[in-house]
Amino acid sequence: MASPLIEVRSLKMYFPVGLSLFGRRKLLKAVDDVSFDLYPGETFGLVGESGCGKTTVGRTLVRLYRPTGGQILYQGTDIANLDEKAVLPYRRKMQMIFQDPYASLNPRMTVSSIIGEPMRLQGMPQAEITARVAELVEQVGLKKDHLNRYPHEFSGGQRQRIGIARSLAMRPEFIVCDEPISALDVSIQAQVINMLEELQDSLGITYLFVSHDLSMVRHISHRVGVMYLGHMVELASAEELYSNMQHPYTQALMSAVPIADPDLAQQANRIVLQGDVPQPIDPPPGCPFASRCRYCKPVCTEVNPEMREVAPGHFLACHL
Amino acid sequence: MDKLLEVKNLTTSFRIGVGTVQAVRGVSFHVDQGESIGIVGESGSGKSVTMLSVMGLLPNYADISAESIRFDGRELTQMGPKALRAMHGREIGMIFQDPMTSLNPLFTVESQLTEPLRNHMKLNRAEARAKALELLRQVEIPNPEARLRQYPHELSGGLRQRVMIAIAIACSPKMVIADEPTTALDVTIQAQILDLLNHLRHSTKTSIIMITHDLGVIASMCSRILVMYGGTIAEEGTAREIFYAPRHPYTWGLLNSIPKLTDSPDEKLIPIKGTPPDMLMPPKGCPFAPRCRYCMPVCREYMPPRTVLTDTHAVSCHLMHPKAPKIEREG
Repeated sequence: MASPLIEVRSLKMYFPVGLSLFGRRKLLKAVDDVSFDLYPGETFGLVGESGCGKTTVGRTLVRLYRPTGGQILYQGTDIANLDEKAVLPYRRKMQMIFQDPYASLNPRMTVSSIIGEPMRLQGMPQAEITARVAELVEQVGLKKDHLNRYPHEFSGGQRQRIGIARSLAMRPEFIVCDEPISALDVSIQAQVINMLEELQDSLGITYLFVSHDLSMVRHISHRVGVMYLGHMVELASAEELYSNMQHPYTQALMSAVPIADPDLAQQANRIVLQGDVPQPIDPPPGCPFASRCRYCKPVCTEVNPEMREVAPGHFLACHL
Repeated sequence: MDKLLEVKNLTTSFRIGVGTVQAVRGVSFHVDQGESIGIVGESGSGKSVTMLSVMGLLPNYADISAESIRFDGRELTQMGPKALRAMHGREIGMIFQDPMTSLNPLFTVESQLTEPLRNHMKLNRAEARAKALELLRQVEIPNPEARLRQYPHELSGGLRQRVMIAIAIACSPKMVIADEPTTALDVTIQAQILDLLNHLRHSTKTSIIMITHDLGVIASMCSRILVMYGGTIAEEGTAREIFYAPRHPYTWGLLNSIPKLTDSPDEKLIPIKGTPPDMLMPPKGCPFAPRCRYCMPVCREYMPPRTVLTDTHAVSCHLMHPKAPKIEREG
């Protein structure tokens, strides 16, 4: 296989959340010791429930946060600890598409200035920007006469297209898609997903696709990582993961997905997890999933399982 | 089976500054006793407004007209606001999408859960408390004594939604309307809540109307489905008819735009082109015509009639006309 575009090594992102009784700082371990590789031109899906740290991983990769620990190797260079200035050339190659197309576009800017903004910031001449904006608008399936309009004149799906055009402006190599379709209607989701796939085919962009929609992740991703409480618990190719999932959490998560087929839904053998996701503030030692796992053994509450390869390319963190 | 709710030709519009939004345009349906029906559709299709109109819960700039809305033998269109209020919570329970905004943050679980019991059932404080504990057990909330004293912000999303369900079923209503009850929840919590609703329906024989945009939720919950588009019912039928023998191009489009866990991953999704209609100026003919790949000239001019295919299956589409071209579903 080609060498990875981004290697993530033991990434940690802790947020301080006030003080405990004795003045000790309490930490929210949003991402705790997560490692994986991203290969050029692939889509890596990141799934998990709210609060599992999947969005934080995405934001940390494009260095919207400065990680607490670990390495982010971008084509071999560690960008985890670069200062604001040194990280700028990498920012150009990494872009982000946000969840809420109503909140991520400035309502006072026209479409052309929204899409052109990253280029303006990089000091590109106006004539070039105008030409590139026209090209981008076409690429994402909008019309030229949309350029002088404002975001409120567009529907959710069209706004998401504007956001995608903006992220493509600097010809990035890598885009973090943070729940790009969850605010959209079903019939529009498919439009945006197909467009993302076409853009990848023609431009060779690498995606980190963060989502809680497991069937959409399977559809778009080449490889998928499952996160729980700041940890990566299982990682495999989409096909392998969905046919041969091993971690009890992955199994429960998959079985909870409602099947859009009345007969299959009848037969489905749902594993219903008891209780809620615990808080990632000062978590207990051991496997993060131990408190809800039906196979929990004594060792699970003491030692956090290491990630190991159970089949070629299939990694699992579980004592079983 | 007896019809618990029967709605005939319901029309709802909103007068707003720039004109009139025609949110619901002539919708008729019924719900049998103990049945669970699903209403699917995209945002703006009129699915929530339909149910809010039936309940009489819309603001006063809404114009609601209907030939008839009969619930359990009574005509709701003839009832005053006071009589309707007496019915809400007592005979029809509602579960809303976001439990954080629909529970009152200033009151404990106990006071919110006992309110309907004391108002409608005229229980005294001790009786209401005992019934509240029983309800919390019924919705499988662990440690109910402690939960009664808590405020909504102390509960997780899943627990809040369970409290909402407990309130909705407190007075053993004949019908529960659930408007996107699991949309704000994670899949594993969603599975818990859907199991609970299914279980409650079987044990209490309550009718459930489930409003959602998630076809997966509908498939696992509902025996009959209404597909709404542009303020009208595009297709209605049993779950099997809608999923295995759909006839409306919009239903095809919906089913084709979601990836299935059983599909091969290389399969392309077939999206529906374009965007839903603007209900300020709904199209003259079929609301789906501008996005429909089988659109004929007649579709743009006239609203399609309702064609009855079986006792349960009906479609509003000009393709059902005997002289229309025979078109098979793709994908």
